[in-house]
Amino acid sequence: MSQGYPIKIYSEPDFNQSSLVLGWNEDAGNLGRKVTDYLNRKLKGQEFAEIQPEDFFPLGGVAIEGNLAQLPDSKFYACQELELVVFQSDSPRIEWYKFLNLILDVAEHLCQVKELYIIGSMISFGAHTSPRQLFTVVNSAEIKEALNQYDLVRDMNYQTPAGERPTLTSFLLWIAKGRNVPGVSLWVPVPFYLAAMEDPQAQKKVLSFLSERLHLEIDFSDVDEEIREQNKQLARARSLFPEIDDYINRLESNLMLSEKENGELIKKIEEFLRESA
Amino acid sequence: MGIRLYQEPNLGKPILVASWPGIGNIGIIAVNTLREMLEAEEFGEIEPWDFFYPRRVLIKNGILEYLEFPSSKFYFRRAEGKDIIFFIGEEQPTEGSRVYAEGKKAYHMANLVLNVAEKFKCRRIYTSGAAVSLTHHTMKPRVWAVPNSERLIQEIRRYENAVLMSDIEGRGKQGNITGLNGLLLGVAKKRGFEAICLMGEIPVYLQGLPLSYPKASKSVLEVLTRNLKIEVNLDKLDELDQRVQRRIEEFYQQIPLAIRGQLDKLRHVVYDKPASPGPITEEEKKKIMDDVEKFFKKRGEGG
Repeated sequence: MSQGYPIKIYSEPDFNQSSLVLGWNEDAGNLGRKVTDYLNRKLKGQEFAEIQPEDFFPLGGVAIEGNLAQLPDSKFYACQELELVVFQSDSPRIEWYKFLNLILDVAEHLCQVKELYIIGSMISFGAHTSPRQLFTVVNSAEIKEALNQYDLVRDMNYQTPAGERPTLTSFLLWIAKGRNVPGVSLWVPVPFYLAAMEDPQAQKKVLSFLSERLHLEIDFSDVDEEIREQNKQLARARSLFPEIDDYINRLESNLMLSEKENGELIKKIEEFLRESA
Repeated sequence: MGIRLYQEPNLGKPILVASWPGIGNIGIIAVNTLREMLEAEEFGEIEPWDFFYPRRVLIKNGILEYLEFPSSKFYFRRAEGKDIIFFIGEEQPTEGSRVYAEGKKAYHMANLVLNVAEKFKCRRIYTSGAAVSLTHHTMKPRVWAVPNSERLIQEIRRYENAVLMSDIEGRGKQGNITGLNGLLLGVAKKRGFEAICLMGEIPVYLQGLPLSYPKASKSVLEVLTRNLKIEVNLDKLDELDQRVQRRIEEFYQQIPLAIRGQLDKLRHVVYDKPASPGPITEEEKKKIMDDVEKFFKKRGEGG
């Protein structure tokens, strides 16, 4: 890492053959942040480096999150004994190619990363009572083969629709492929009415896979408790508000709601969960 | 971040014709049409990844197969004494959410294009874009020509259906060419290339629509091909124009009658001399501009 790199390194970790788990801060159900926070908390991840924001974010002001002023963050954490590197970041707004290469520079040169896992979520128009599935997109046939034994949906077909752009995750997977770093993106569908909240079921789906694949041996009793609590709250919302129950019943029967009904369900669920919290 | 040339054709003092998308895609349609008509051969590109966010991903059976970026390609056409290099950029490199290129990336891309011009000893550079103007979509668009050197002014005055900034009423030789179609002209000057930007007129009330304006592309091509002494068949542009004109007419009929009445006056603007549009008055011109602005503001507010 030469001088002039927009990276601050606080300490040099000692890895032999590590894996990198990456989560973006702004996805549905706040999944990337929640999963990486959880890994860091549970596995005692130590912050060791960060990418400086000035080249990658407009910085025309400051965001306020939870009453606090907050600059964009892009931080690396080391769980050294488990050969695990965690990167949690806001999505860069400019200079994407440079930013994504910097992540891989740190991963390869400082951490001897051999595999990359990127957490992602997608909006689902199904009910929260449907089991969560874990979809994967990989950047090589070899890594796809290596994932054979896990409970994953591995045969996704997708092409960017007109008027849309690929995700930053696809961009990173593609760059990693060019650098011969095997990469996997993990996608969990999050029910649309939980997209602005949290979805512990989705979190557990990703975490369970990571724990198994990377031999992290995590005890998920706390996540299970969160799932139980959220399900309890949602069941209460259904019993208190017949229209919520009606909407969710219809989703459970694979019926689509109108745009207006979708909006109402989101609003009512968010209000209810916030008040209950 | 750089240039990849697949081959190095032997060209004799070629001219370079470059374009990026802009209002009505006037320039890029003109340049692309000429490239197609002359069956120019692709010979290089500017590597895209540092300039652009990808625009399409293809995932097949769970494997990321392909990531597509906007292209920035070079083509050549060899012809006795009239060798041409084309540069066609599918997008302008932007920083953040801006539409047109500006800043470091734009300057860098302009320099990369000129590196190729320098390598092949190009004798002149043409760019092309749009000139938003008080004209009517039933009128033949003029071409505003902006050179980057004094000595080209007399040459431009001889072009048929083309005007200099100083010939456009109220402009006083002043103006601005937004984005890379303009920036390339300035950077070319710094690097000692002579260059001309040819801008086809587009009616002010069409500038915000997601429609191309091939009628103006044709005007640009007429000026360019006459200047290059090349003959090309522009029937394809006429066909495209007929289709677009139908959509423009549909839009035009949606404009409130009072505003349309003002705009209809533009049908009768006659340029007997470059600087004398008639028969509309200055007051009428101002009213048209105000009405158009109000109309689009209202449409925008209405979603």
